[in-house]
This record gives sequence, C-alpha cells and structure tokens, in this order.
Amino acid sequence: MKRKIYAGLLMMLMAVNTFPSFASSHREAPLIADDPLADNTDVYAFRSPSDPNKVILIANYIPFQLPQGGPNYYSFGENIRYEIHVDNNTATPGDDITYRFTFRKVNEDPTTFFNIRLGKQNLKTTYTLERSVNGGASFITIVSNGVVPPPNIGPRSISSPVGLNVPDYNTLINNSISTASTGERVFCGTADDPFFVDLGGIFDLGDAPRTTGTQPADGLKTKNVSTIALEVDIATLSKNNTPVSAATSILDPNYVIGVWASASRQQIRTLSAGNQAYSGPWVQVSRLGMPLTNEAVIPIGKKDLWNSSTPYQDLANLSTFGTFFYKPELALYMDNTFFGSAVPALTPLRIQRNSLQSFGFGNDQNGLYPLKGTPAVAGTALDESQYGSLLLPAPNSPRSVDLWPIFHTGVPNARPYQLATGKNGNPLAAGKPFINNFLPNGGDMLRLNMAVPVTSRTDPKFSSEGLLQAAVLGLTDPTYNTTTALQFIPNMDGFPNGRRLEDDVTRIELQAVGGIVLAAIGLWYDDYVAGSPNPVTPKLLATLNYNTGINNNDTTFKTSFPFVQTPWPGTTDKAGQENNYVKPAILAPSSSGLGLAFPGVVGITYPNPAASVNTIKYRVLFDASDVSVIVFNSAGQRVRVLVSQTQAAGVYTVNWNTAGLQRGVYFIKIVSNAQEQTLKLVKE
Amino acid sequence: MKFNEIIFQKINNMKQKVTLRKLLKYFIMTVSCMGLSVVFMSSSHREAPLIANDPVADNTDVYAFRSPDQPDKINIICNYIPFELPQGGPNYNTFGENVRYEVHIDNNVSTPGDDITYRFTFSRTNQDPTTFFNIRLGMRNLYTTYTCQRSTDGGNTFTTIVTNGVVPPPNIGPRSISSAVGLNVPDYNTLITNSIVTATTGEKVFCGPADDPFFVDLGGIFDLGDAPRQTMKSRDGLAKYNVHAICLQIDIATLQKNHKPVSQASTILDPDYVIGVWASASRPSTKTLNTTGGTFSESGNYIQVSRLGMPLTNEAVIPLGKKDQWNGTTPYQDLANISTFGNFFYNPELALYMDDSKFGGAVPAFKGLRIQSHSLQAFDFRNGGDGLYSLKGSPAVRGTALDEAVAGGLLLPGPGQPRSVDLWPIFHTGVPNLIPYQLATGKNGGPLTAGKPFINNFLPNGGDMLRLNMAVPPTPRNDPNFSSLGLIQAAVLGLTNPAYNTNSGLQFIPNMDGFPNGRRLEDDVTRIELQAVGGVVLAAIGLFYDDYNPTNFLQSPVTNQLINTIQYSTGVEKNDTTFKTAFPYVQTPWRGTDIKNQ
Repeated sequence: MKRKIYAGLLMMLMAVNTFPSFASSHREAPLIADDPLADNTDVYAFRSPSDPNKVILIANYIPFQLPQGGPNYYSFGENIRYEIHVDNNTATPGDDITYRFTFRKVNEDPTTFFNIRLGKQNLKTTYTLERSVNGGASFITIVSNGVVPPPNIGPRSISSPVGLNVPDYNTLINNSISTASTGERVFCGTADDPFFVDLGGIFDLGDAPRTTGTQPADGLKTKNVSTIALEVDIATLSKNNTPVSAATSILDPNYVIGVWASASRQQIRTLSAGNQAYSGPWVQVSRLGMPLTNEAVIPIGKKDLWNSSTPYQDLANLSTFGTFFYKPELALYMDNTFFGSAVPALTPLRIQRNSLQSFGFGNDQNGLYPLKGTPAVAGTALDESQYGSLLLPAPNSPRSVDLWPIFHTGVPNARPYQLATGKNGNPLAAGKPFINNFLPNGGDMLRLNMAVPVTSRTDPKFSSEGLLQAAVLGLTDPTYNTTTALQFIPNMDGFPNGRRLEDDVTRIELQAVGGIVLAAIGLWYDDYVAGSPNPVTPKLLATLNYNTGINNNDTTFKTSFPFVQTPWPGTTDKAGQENNYVKPAILAPSSSGLGLAFPGVVGITYPNPAASVNTIKYRVLFDASDVSVIVFNSAGQRVRVLVSQTQAAGVYTVNWNTAGLQRGVYFIKIVSNAQEQTLKLVKE
Repeated sequence: MKFNEIIFQKINNMKQKVTLRKLLKYFIMTVSCMGLSVVFMSSSHREAPLIANDPVADNTDVYAFRSPDQPDKINIICNYIPFELPQGGPNYNTFGENVRYEVHIDNNVSTPGDDITYRFTFSRTNQDPTTFFNIRLGMRNLYTTYTCQRSTDGGNTFTTIVTNGVVPPPNIGPRSISSAVGLNVPDYNTLITNSIVTATTGEKVFCGPADDPFFVDLGGIFDLGDAPRQTMKSRDGLAKYNVHAICLQIDIATLQKNHKPVSQASTILDPDYVIGVWASASRPSTKTLNTTGGTFSESGNYIQVSRLGMPLTNEAVIPLGKKDQWNGTTPYQDLANISTFGNFFYNPELALYMDDSKFGGAVPAFKGLRIQSHSLQAFDFRNGGDGLYSLKGSPAVRGTALDEAVAGGLLLPGPGQPRSVDLWPIFHTGVPNLIPYQLATGKNGGPLTAGKPFINNFLPNGGDMLRLNMAVPPTPRNDPNFSSLGLIQAAVLGLTNPAYNTNSGLQFIPNMDGFPNGRRLEDDVTRIELQAVGGVVLAAIGLFYDDYNPTNFLQSPVTNQLINTIQYSTGVEKNDTTFKTAFPYVQTPWRGTDIKNQ
C-alpha cells in the first residue's frame, strides 16, 4: 500500500482510544485559565442520532459557569474569534472548512443592575457566523444577527410578566436555532456542561477512583458552559461533497474529517479607565481537538505554547511535543518501575512491560522498535516504506505506535490496527476491521469517519466506553468474533472515532495509556503466555473494569439538535447550599388613624365636642420651633391665642376653658414655623 | 482642622456659595444616617461586565474590623477571584502576575488621596514543568510568591516591607498536601500558619486561598430580587467556594492619623480614629500577545480595573451602563463625579421594588420592606419624593448637619433626591455623631433633636469607602448580643433595650463595631443594606414608618412596618462555615476532594 504522505503518515492505531487525561480542557493551561471567555473546554463530533445524514459539531467555551453567577452572567466574549476548523483532505494544506463566530453584546436597559427586567435584556448577545472553504483566505457571512439566548436566571426572569414572559427556557433555545444561508443549523448559547469527571480526585495526584476515603464527585456537576453547536450535512463536510449514501463501506476513507476548535484575540489590548480596546492581528490563545491533550499530556511548561499553535504545526513541532505522547507522564503512574506504587487508584492499570514475552511499553522501553525494518512488519503500517519512520522513530519511544498516532493521524484500517480477532496470535497479522479515521496530517484533531453508522442511544449495547466497547464486542461477542469481515459493531461511532456527548473519554484515555489498545490488537498483557488459549487475562479484565468512579453526565442529553441539555437555572436546587429559613408573616400596617397632619407639630383635641373644658395635646418635632396655637370661629375670626412662643421638641398639653364660647364649630390652628395643622372642635 | 484642598476645589466646582467657615463645618458634619449602607446583594463578585471577564483582578469583598482577640489591632481583608471551585484543577486559581493588588487607607481628609497604600505583586514559578499536576513529589507548579510595598506619601514612593512572601498552594486534597508523594506536611493549616509573615514595619500579612466568607442567595436575588425565595428554599450561592484573600493585621497606632494608640482615644467615638478603606486591582495599559510561542508582554501605565470599598455598591447600586466606569475611578474622584453617580444613591433602583407606587408589587420577596411615603405624616422618601428637602433652610434644621451653614448643600441638594440624607452619606462620608444622626432614644419624637450617639465614622472626603472608627470596642464573637445585623442591631438595642434606652448618654452598645462601621466577616451586609434601602436608618433616627401616627400619643413607634423591616431577611444569614478565631480569621480553603454537591 502506497500512500501519499502528506504531512503525515499513516499511523496507526490500535483499537481504540486515546489517552491520557482528565478534565478535558477546563482551565488546562496557565494563561488561558486566566481568560475564561476564550477558554475552549471540549469539542465533540458525532453523527446525528436523530438525522443520520448530518454530523453534529460542538465546541464548548468558558469553564465552570455557576448557574447562579450573576449579576453579569457568563456569555461569549466580544473581540474574540471562536472558530471550528474542519480538515477533510490531507492534500490541501490547513483547513478545508472554517466556521468563525464573532459576538456582540448590547444593553437594552442600562439603568438596571438586573440582567433581565420588564422584557429587556442586558448583555444581550448576538453573533455573526462566517464560513471559509478556502483555508481561511476568504469568508462569507452565513448567519447574521444570530441570537444567543439569555442566561437561565430563574423563573421570574424568564417566565414572569416582569421578566421575559416566555413559557419556558426551552422556548428561547428553540427560537434561537437558526439555519445558515449554506444550510447548516446553528445554535450558540448556554448549556449544561456535558463533560463529567472527578476533578477533585484525579488532580489530587491521580486519585480516581478515590482511595482516600472520600466519595467521588463530578466536579462539573451542575455547571454550565457556552456552547457552539452546528448540524452539518455529511455532504457538506465530506471531501468530495458526496452524501453518506455514496460511501463504499462503513469505513470509507473518503468520509474522514478532522475537527478542532480555537479562540483567538487581537494582539494588543489597551486599557483605559473603565474601557478597553483591541487592535492588531489575531493571535490564537486556545486550542482543542482531542480531549485532554493539553490537560494531562502536555506538561505545564509547554501548555501555553500548545495553545498558541495549530494542528498543522504539530508535525514540525514533533521534537517539542512528540515525547509527551511517546512516553506520557501518566504512564509513569501505571508502571511499577516508576511511580506505579505512588498512585494506588491506578493499580488496575499496568502497562505491558513484557507483552508476548517480547515487547515492553514502559516509558524506559522500546515498544515495537526491535521490529523496525524486519520482515515481520513488511506490508504493515510499520513498514519503513509505509509509516515506519514515524511509528517507529527511535528506540525508547514505546507509545509511538499507539498513543501518538491516535492523536495525530487517526487510525487506518490496516495491519496491525485491526482487532486481534482472527489474528491467530500474531498481532501483525490481518484481523477484524473496526476503525478507519485516518487523516494523516500529523496534527492533534478529533477525527471522525462519518460513514460509520449511528448507534442508537436506546440500543442496549450503547456504551460510554465508545470504540473501546466496540473492540470488546468484536473480540468477545459471538455475533462479531467469529468472522474477520467488516461488520458494524455498536459504538464504532464512539470516541475516538469522533466523540459523542456520552463518551467517557477520561476512562477510555486512562485505559488507553494503560495499554488496552495494544491488547486489543493482540499485544496482550504480561500475564498472558504467548500461545495460551485465552488472552482475556486478569490484567486485561482489571484494565477493562477500571473506571474513575464518575462514568456519566449529571443529567441527560436532548434527543435532537442541539443535543446539549438545557442550562441549569440560577435558582436550581442543585447549586448552592440550602438554608432552612422560615419566612415570618408580613404584618399588616399598624392602624394609624389620621391621614392628615403636618411636620413640625402635630396635635389632637379632646373632648370633642367640648362643653366647658378642652385639652389640646401636641407634639413639636423640632427644637427651637416657633409654635402658636390659635382658635378661630367658623367666620374665621380669631377667638383665642393659647400658645405663642419658641418651644423645644417634645409633647405639650394645653388645658383651656371653653365655657364662654358660643355653641358652634371652631378651628384650632397649630402652627410650627411655617407649617400648620388645623383641628375642628365642636362646642356644645 | 485643615481640609483637603481637593475637596475644596470640588466644592467650588459645585458652585456652592459658602464661606470657609461654613465649609469647615460642613465637612465636619456631613451626613448620614445611622448606619447603614445601602444596596445590595452579592458584594462584588462578577459585578461589572469587563471585570467579570478578568477574574484574577476581580475584587470581591473588603472587610475592616478591630481584632476580637487583639483589640489594639485592625484587620483588613481584601478578597479577589470570585467563585473559585476547590476542585478547579489542574491550574488552580491563584493571584495573577502583572496585577497590582492594592489596599488603600485614608485617615485624614486634609491630605489628598491615600494616607497609606499597601501594594502586593505576585509572581508564579513552576518548580517542575515536566508534570501536569500542580503538586508532585514536594514540588509545586504555579508556586506563587509576593512582594508587599507600602507608601505613606500618597503613592509617591514605596518601600518594600515583605520580600518573597509565600502563598500557600491550593488545597488540592490529602495526597497532594499530606502524602509522601505530595508536600508531606501534616495538614493544610500548617501551610497557612507557615505563610504568615511579619512585615518590616510590623504588620502581619497573609495572602492565600480561603473559604469565601461572603454569603448570599445569588440565584434568588438576581432572579429579579427573589430573596427570600417565595416558592423555593433560599440557598447560599457562594457555599463551598474559595477566594484569594489578602489579609493585613495592623496596629491601630499605625493607621491612626497622628499615630496614637487606641488607649489614647478620647471616647469610643473619637473622630480622630476614623479610617476609610478601599481596595483595587490595576493592570498595565497595554497587553501584547506574541504571535508565536503562547506568551505575552505587558507595558505602560497601570490602569485600575477593579475597585471596592462599600459592599455591593457596584453590584446593585450602580446600573449596568456605568459599572465599568465606576471600576475605573477612585473614591477621590467620586465627589467630582457626583452628577454621574449621585442619583443612583439619591434614587436607588432597589427602592423601586419597595414602593407600591412603583414596582413594589412586582417583587413579592420585598413585601416586608416599604419605604416611608409619609413619615410623621409628612416626609416622602420614595424615589422622586422630596425626603427632608422641605426643611431646607428652615429653622427646624438649624444647628443640625442639615443646616445650610453645615452640610445642607450636600445633604439636601435638591427636591426629588430623597435618599441624600441617608444612603448617599453612608457610602460617601460616613456618619457623624451629630443631629439628626443619633438614635431616636431621647429625642421625644423630634427627629432633628439630640438623641443617643451610636456611630461616628465620619471621614468626609466624599468617596465610597468602608469607614471604621477604630476606637469602638470589638464585640466578642461569643457575646450573646453579637449579631450579624451589625450596627442595625446596635440601633435596635439602643432603642429598645432598657440597658441602653433609658438615657441618651454615649455607651458601648454591642455591635457598634459592625457594618457599616467597618465590616466584620460575620456581618450580613446584604440584609442590612436591603433594610437600609427600605428606610430602617431613617426610622432609627425618628423618621418612622407610615403606620406610625405621631398624633396618637399612645402608639409605639415600633409599628408593624418597622417590625416587618427589622425581620426582613434574605433567607441566608450566615456563612456556610465558621471563621478562625485568630489571624487571618478567614477559614481554611475548601479542599478539592471534599466537594460533593457544588
């Protein structure tokens, strides 16, 4: 088999999966951890379970969003280019299709501190989507004024008349899905973070599953992310623009795409008081293809560099990054020669150091390098005339045959990258095909063969173990393991053949570092004696059974586009700590009698009607008040002056004789400074 | 007493025709009501659009309180980086490089700007760049150290007082902290204790992660004011999250304007012991990303990007359209900017939701809060009302802080600015021990008469700061009268408790050392400020609620509406954990492996 080696080569792969890692890419590198708006957390690419002619591409940004994180809830940033890149052809340099999203925010009511009030929304975010099909040389706008739904603040903000007054939040999601002028359906908005991982355990020196007595916890539980989701016709993505119905097989190599996402900012940010401006060329600050590459493969000293480069530069940077895949740090913790005993949680994972009593894949070993240039590899992907120089680059690069190619080229349907089924003990022999997502450009991307059928989410064989489960079925299920013919095995559409929302990539990748891909193609664990009948040894079983303790998302997924789940509302009972507060009853206002009176002085008169005596009681509110109390008759004539003096604040009582007054109505005017109150008095 | 020339200039700019004598008086007396501050909710976590996108520089809260265990010292705590998830690895939150974190102190209105400035700058080092773990085999990545500098000349010159201070690592979990393959220390608190340093000038300093001491039902309150929640349980939206705290413990004599110890205070309200505290974060004006290599450089003058004095000012007083501008200015500019920001205090947005003639009916959670519309049958403090403006220039205000000859120009600036007498001064000048800003106790029903003193944190520079009278004794945290209602509770005791309400003499009332006289970690500032917007400060000084009839000589002013206001609560009244009983007081940060449900 001769191939054009483009930038890449062929590589290979093993059965299944990829590797190291953990939290996908939330706060994965120092610089981007301080720039959450541009922090790309995860990329997904899968064939749509609701419309098999379509592929779903999802790129998530802004990690760890608290649903209750107001008043300025999270949303996409302005002055950032969010891009989804698709490569479908190794013969063309760079992207074949690029989707570029840019966002704008508007305050509809800048007079309030609330995000939503009376139908108005602040930080209201809209977007423009542009597409390039010429490697980024030119872009055309395919969505203008796309709407990002508001944050899911709570029922008052969303559904009440003083808020947006819509029936429910999902109405906002549905209304914001737009169709591009080129046919793609598009959604940009907040969603439940579909990723799941025991962050707390795993970053405590690899304690997943927990061994220290604490319970595992999904560190992303009840957190949201900002999602960009695209539903694209397979014919739009395939390199010859052919529909999936034209695929020659379910592993047709012409249907492989590589997907990655990025965020870029302009080079110069200039701050001034209360403002900022951006200028200069765009510089990439975040990058994501395969999950967890930059989280747990690239060490901290190189993470920022990784984020700034593109997959198309990876081959040129092989001397910098290659060794992190050839001899991954995580492998140190699955190997008793190194720190295996220091990470008890990973005890079930023990890398082959003596597979088939011949090959060692420990970080100090040579892997398959002894076979380089030998007749044994003739005609396989490891042949020097094929990809031997990349797959067997040097001694002491043991994982150059599994981990490196899984991330950098995808896996061809070629020896030795077929299941051990049918190999009769020779890992380099032809076996049962199960993957072909080979797109050998040498760069870290999520690679998907779009011709592989969709596993129904309700199929009892659907598994979050993805392609690893397909391998298990292909090796052990009589439906599949009695023939080397190409068959659709459930979960062949799972990670690392693309990535479904359900796929437990953390587990899969840790198992892959633990050597399970090698085992799947016949490089069995050390406790298998070559020639023995049953390669399913205790070590293989231990590896298969390994899990991190957190194996699925904390909620479901939608069954149709955009598939990501409704974002957690800020008022959810799953965020924040419940307080058992008992509201006191609101008391009705105390009964207060009079409704009229004046400042400065207030008074009453009694008895009323009066006979021979009457009392006026009044309160002076302010010190040094000039107070007068004067009695007038109904004709307005002054009858008596009872008080006329400067008085301090306080309560005063005046008793006066009314015996001499004629019967009738009188008015008592109480004056303090310029203010007065008039009381009516009836003389009997 | 000399006064700040800048202030004079500002006043002149305001075209106040006043004599020098009047000016002097006016500053002596400005303002305020009893106590509290105003508006509220989540202190200042993600409070403005720009800073919400720059968490490393986002100042969340400032506290200033007299040490309960060392009464000759003041603690100042400034927190940054909101909503830190304890499990948020692999690059756990830490202070940023190229950010100036500053704590500003004003103790003298006659000197322009800061009297003392503390500036912290941090650097990060990777001790083992070959791993993706933060801690491994005794080595730490993003290992953060700091320099603390101090200026006592308004920021002209700085002296380094702490070199190579150590920020404890993130509290990742037992393997990283205590195991042989991690740091191998007995426990995390050992790291905290070991990182406390004493500056060359005597201050104790701690910089590191801590439990976020703030507590608030974010989810409820920002859902259009649903606190307490009407149909759900209220929830502390900050429970189990960490922040990064900068903590200082400083001799009162260091902070006092004449460097006198607290033992020399003339009274517990000695005006010479008032300080104003605020914090900020600044970044260089220009950040340039290198086109390759994933690095960047920063250059240019430092530009302030975050600011915090009084809690919640920029969260819930300043509306969205002005928040970024607020963060870009200093308190010393507030008086010049009064035409921009003043009305947000005179007619605060929150007051709309406590007023049935506006949107009161739309926010059922605030039903217990109803601003006085005809206090004493006369005064309307609802937005658009005139408040006490009708008294302007009248004999009634003669000799009080509201006198034109005193501070009437600022406190009664015009009609339709009802809260110019309570909310504005609480935030901008502090509260003097003057009529009318004394408790109604002893006033005999006259709000503008002398009553019982209970606060004097008057530092009339016109800027939003957290003001503390350091002479006020600390209330022991185990005192049965200790209350998260702070100075409001002191007012309640002064009005209703026979130990205090039978005379108008100055006494120490428990919680006089509470917010808004400084701010203790325990103080429920959200509740206090909502009550203050609801008019409780006005009521405390005798401007009672509408259901009090001053002509009913038998009626207690403690009416149902006042009771409703005092009882009002957001439903989340205390932090989700305790505080330490000694410096740095903030609690050990939550551990990454201990978080289950957040």
